[in-house]
Order: sequence, then C-alpha cells, then structure tokens
Amino acid sequence: MIKHIYQKLFATKPGAEQRIPRYKQTRVYQWLRSNPKLRDIRQSLPLILHLTRQDLVERHTGSVLGATWTFVSPLINILVFVLVFSSIMGAKLEGFGAEIDKYAYSIYLICGMLAWIAFANSLGRITNLFKDQSHLVTKVNVSLLALPLSVLLTETVVYVIGMVFFIGFLLLVDFPLSAYWLFIPVIYALQCLFVYALGVTLAVLAVYLKDIKEVVTVVLQVWFWVTPIVYVMEILPGWVQRGMQFNPAYVLVDAYRSLIMRQQLPDFLPITLFAIAAFGLLALGLWLLGRTERDLRDCL
Amino acid sequence: MIDIQGLNKTFKLFHRPADRLREAITGRVRHESYHALKDISFQVAPGEVLGVLGRNGAGKSTLLKLLTGVLMPDSGQINIDGRITGLLELGTGFNPELTGLQNITANGLMLGMSHEELDNRRQEIIEFSELGNYIQEPLRTYSSGMTMRLAFSIAIHAEPRCFLVDEALSVGDGYFQQKCMKRIREFKESGGSILFVSHDLNAVKMLCDRALVLEDGSVVFDGDADIAVNRYNRIMARQAEEEEGRHLGRQHGAYGTGEVAVTTGSVAGQESHSATISSGEMLDIDLTLSAHQAVGDITLGIMVRDRFGQDIFGANSFQLGQTLNLAEGSVQRVRLSLQADIAPGKYTITIGLHSREHHLEACYWWYDSYLQFEVAGFKQHLFSGVCRLPLTLETLPAESPSPAQQLE
Repeated sequence: MIKHIYQKLFATKPGAEQRIPRYKQTRVYQWLRSNPKLRDIRQSLPLILHLTRQDLVERHTGSVLGATWTFVSPLINILVFVLVFSSIMGAKLEGFGAEIDKYAYSIYLICGMLAWIAFANSLGRITNLFKDQSHLVTKVNVSLLALPLSVLLTETVVYVIGMVFFIGFLLLVDFPLSAYWLFIPVIYALQCLFVYALGVTLAVLAVYLKDIKEVVTVVLQVWFWVTPIVYVMEILPGWVQRGMQFNPAYVLVDAYRSLIMRQQLPDFLPITLFAIAAFGLLALGLWLLGRTERDLRDCL
Repeated sequence: MIDIQGLNKTFKLFHRPADRLREAITGRVRHESYHALKDISFQVAPGEVLGVLGRNGAGKSTLLKLLTGVLMPDSGQINIDGRITGLLELGTGFNPELTGLQNITANGLMLGMSHEELDNRRQEIIEFSELGNYIQEPLRTYSSGMTMRLAFSIAIHAEPRCFLVDEALSVGDGYFQQKCMKRIREFKESGGSILFVSHDLNAVKMLCDRALVLEDGSVVFDGDADIAVNRYNRIMARQAEEEEGRHLGRQHGAYGTGEVAVTTGSVAGQESHSATISSGEMLDIDLTLSAHQAVGDITLGIMVRDRFGQDIFGANSFQLGQTLNLAEGSVQRVRLSLQADIAPGKYTITIGLHSREHHLEACYWWYDSYLQFEVAGFKQHLFSGVCRLPLTLETLPAESPSPAQQLE
C-alpha cells in the first residue's frame, strides 16, 4: 500500500517530461538536488519506507491478528481514556466551549496524550537508533540522516490511526469539528522536526555515552508529569505557569488543544519560538553528526 | 571500475568512551592511533579480478568496509562507477526474524535496488539460491551455508558494477562454490570489476589477473597474481620464523635440579650430514653430558614433536634397559640413533635427564625443543599420514586359502 502511495506521489506522469517546470529552475531546487546529504536521504527513501512497513506490518507476521495489532494499541488508549476518565472518574472541566462536560476531560486528555505518545516514543527510539540498528549501519551503507525518518514515519502512522479513532469518538459524541483541524498537520510537522533534531543530537551522544539512553528514559518520564497533559495548567503555581511557555512539549500540546478544543489558532509567539528552537536544534544535530560521523561508524 | 587513491584509515583507541566524544567535538587528541591503512592506491579495471592477499590484521577487512561505505576514510578518494555489492563475511544486514523473501526485499533496497528492479529479479534470486520452500521460513532457521547462498544470490543479482568476495564464499559447499565461481566469471566477462580477498592461494592464482599484497596496512606488492602469491608466502614464512623464535624464546633455558646437564647437542642425518634429512634416513643425536655431582641410574629421554607441538615419538634409556652412571666432574658423550620414518615437516627434539622411569621423581635437566630438524622428501616410498609403518604387498594365487580359512 505504502509502495503505491509512494509511486503516486513521486512517479512522473507520462508525457510530463517535455517541459522543465519553473520550480525546477530555481536556485533552491538546484541546491536541494545537488546537496550530497540530501541525495543520500532521497536515495534511501525506499529503504526507509520499507523499514517503516516492517515496523508496522511485518513485525506481526506469524501472529493471528497480523497487522491489526498496529491498530490495537491506539484503540485501547482511546477507549481507556474515554471509559475510565469520562465514566469512572467523571472529572469535570469547564471553559472549553463544549457543553458535553462528561467527555471534556477525555477530549482534553486524548489531545495531549496522542501527541505526547508520538513525541516520547519517537524521541526515545531515535535516541537508541544507531545502537539498535548497528547490525545495519555496520553492514550496509545506510544514511544516518535518513534512518530516524523511519521511526518518525512509524510513529506518525500510529498517531494518525489514533487521531482517526479520536475523530470517530468526537463524531459519536457530537463534538464540533472545525476547519482549524487543517492546522494540525502543520503543528505535527513542527513536532516531527523538533523530535528529529533533538533525536539526532541525542542519538550521536548515545553512541558515545551509554548513559544517555537511561537519562532520556528518566527525563521523558519526568517531562510527562511536568507538562500539563493529564492535569490542567490552572492547578500549577503562577511562576510555573509563566515558565511553561518554554516547555516545548507544553507548547505543542497546547497548540493541539487550541485547534481542537478552543477552535482557535495557537498563540503565535510560543509556537514561533518553538519553531526557531527546532531549527536551532536541527543545525546543532546536523553539525554534530557531520563532525562525528566517521568516528561514529568506527565506534559502532 | 574501482579507483582508489591515497586511502588512509586510522582507528582511535580510547581509554574511556567519553574521551571519544570529547575529542570528536573539540578536536583535541585524547587517543592512541592504530594506522590500519596507509596510503593505499589501486585500480580495478572493468572485467578485471584483483586479488587481495595479506595475513590477519594486514588491513583487508578495513579495506572492504571502506569500499562498501560502512566506514569512512580519513583521507583519500574512493571512486566506484556504480553499485558495489559483495559476499562478505562481515555480513549483509540480514534480519534473522524475517523470512528469506522479506530479507530479499529489505536487503535489495539497502543495496539501492528499486522496487521495480526487485520485482523483476526476485524469482531469479530465489532460483539461484536454490532455497526452494525455505524462502518462506525465517532466516534464523537457516544454516550458514543457506544464508550465504541467499546473500550471494541477492548481491550478484543487484546488477552491481563492482563485486567484493571474501572468505565467506568458503562457507558454501563445493557444488555451490563452483556455481558461484562460474557466476563470478560471467560477471567478469560482462565487464564487472571484482575484488577477491582470500587465503586460498590456489583460487587467487586461478581467478585473479592481478593481486595486491597488504602488509601492516600498506600495499607491498601490486602485480601478477603468481608473483603476489610467492610474496605472500614469504611474508607468511617470515611470520612462521618469528613465531618459532618467540616459541624458542619462551622455552629458553633448561630447568631441573642441575646435578647433570647436557652441555652440547647436535642432530644430523647419517647421509645428509645436516639437520635436514629425508624421511626414512637414520638420524643421529649427539649429546655431551657433564655431571657436577656423582649421579647413578640416570635416564636419558627424548621426545620428538611436530610443528603443532604434537608428540610424535618419545623414548628413554630406561625403556631400552640402559642407564647412565656419571662420576663427579665427568663428561660423557652419547649418541642416539633412530630411523626417522616420519612425514615431511619440521620437528623439535626435547631432551630430559632424570632418575629411573620418569622425570617426576627427580628431574636433573630438561630442555623443551632443544634441537630442531626438518624432514624433506622420501628415502623410501611415499606415504601419507604421520609416520611410515612397514608395509608389504604379496600377490597370492586365487585359490589359496585365506588366513581365516587356514585356521579352520
């Protein structure tokens, strides 16, 4: 299936090659074409897609349910959040513009949890990626820059599946879906950029320092509870609330909530700062990998 | 076409893993270097097979890793005009949990094949590997020979321009090795470049147009394969000598209580008059014994060992029913003669002087590998194995009774 999507996206249509489109003549395009690192990434795309497929589908070959397992964990997550927190805990949250108070906390929770799961899982896996995939890295020439993409892609698929269930649930309880949903992919793309950048940096460090793996596990756990994901911002003291603007995870989670629950665009300033930070980290990660790649490969 | 210019590769040895990171970022030296490859340059033309010879640690594997792009060189150029694949002992990135078929796809993509190429080639790959229905089984159930067959099959069908072969080929059985060799020759004829790394000197001579000899990370010879093989043999011989020297050094000196000692010793063939004899020749071992104290009932023992340190033959004067008695300060010359009906090769003689039956009671003097000699060629008929046992052949009339029948 992925193969078909890929072909549809990238294959040239017959009869399209007579004229060079204008975008192909721009300097940016030329640079993108000729940059050797990007060329490596482009050439590894089929492999990345295949690794993703392996992760999602082939990992379950031999099991009775097969690829269905990929859908199970997001579904269970949603069901738990909805059933446990709306019926059993019955937490009431106000001021989200929705009259269906019964489900408000579930929606609040799912908005944050789905994003956090994608964030934390990707980051954790990318951190250990070079070690985990050392059987590939030391045997065949794979682009170290491209490898994390397969993790992002896998987690994205899981996230999308979760979101589809989420939308299904929202329709079921008559929660209004708005055009602001169209901005979710933008926020998610920024999230991926941030995770990729931070992940590559940590992955390089993790090859040298085994401790990084443990540190990341612990930090992610603390991070989860520091960020208002299961609780609401208002219960925190004022100074923490002000500082929260510098918590990237909160900025992300809050942006999703703005779009989904408040039906408005997220605050401009935090998300801009977040984007700048992401690009800064990306520069750092790329510099670090470029600087250490030769050594890194010796070391694996 | 493979074109290598001025390739250098150094491995860094660090005391602590964190030092590695600190150096990688700051650039300040915190390591000891190991220079694995020094200024390597060579070309492999289309349709050429280049052999690479070298003892363990000469840099062969590093060279292969650099060529496949798994490692990156410190300096130098690697130009390869197209895809490079190979059958390498360092493995191919197979996933043992996936089936053979899934591994074909994964591995093909890793080698840079497109889905289209893979679809066209998949059947051929399966057929060439002769895995049959096993292709549906997870790779962890494969034998090493089967894995190698699959690896070779994918690598050669990936339409490479350059192909690398190393000792991994020897995992396959004779039949499949021949099949591989045939396929490699076809590849060569179609204009591919091949790098053949092997310790099988015969195969290098047969297959390669040219060969490199690597020694301590440098190319010490680049040229005709036959000459390269000789050069390699010389290096190995030198290593063998060094080993022997080390061996002697380690065993140097006699031990024992020292009441009696062997002061000089020599070994010579009765015909060759040297330490190199023919198999079957009489060998004289001349020893001079001197006693610091008066000792009676001395047993003199010898042990002949081959180059693996295996005991070939040992005996002592006690077993012969002879003992030696030496007065204080006396010197005694003795000669042991034996018929050296042993296979060609290098041997050592260990000498011991002890009391009575064995050296555990009182060991006066013991010297491992005190003397060396070599057996080359045969005085009598050829034989195989460690030693020659007296053998005769009689022709008998057909109706004569066999020994068993005679008993009846």
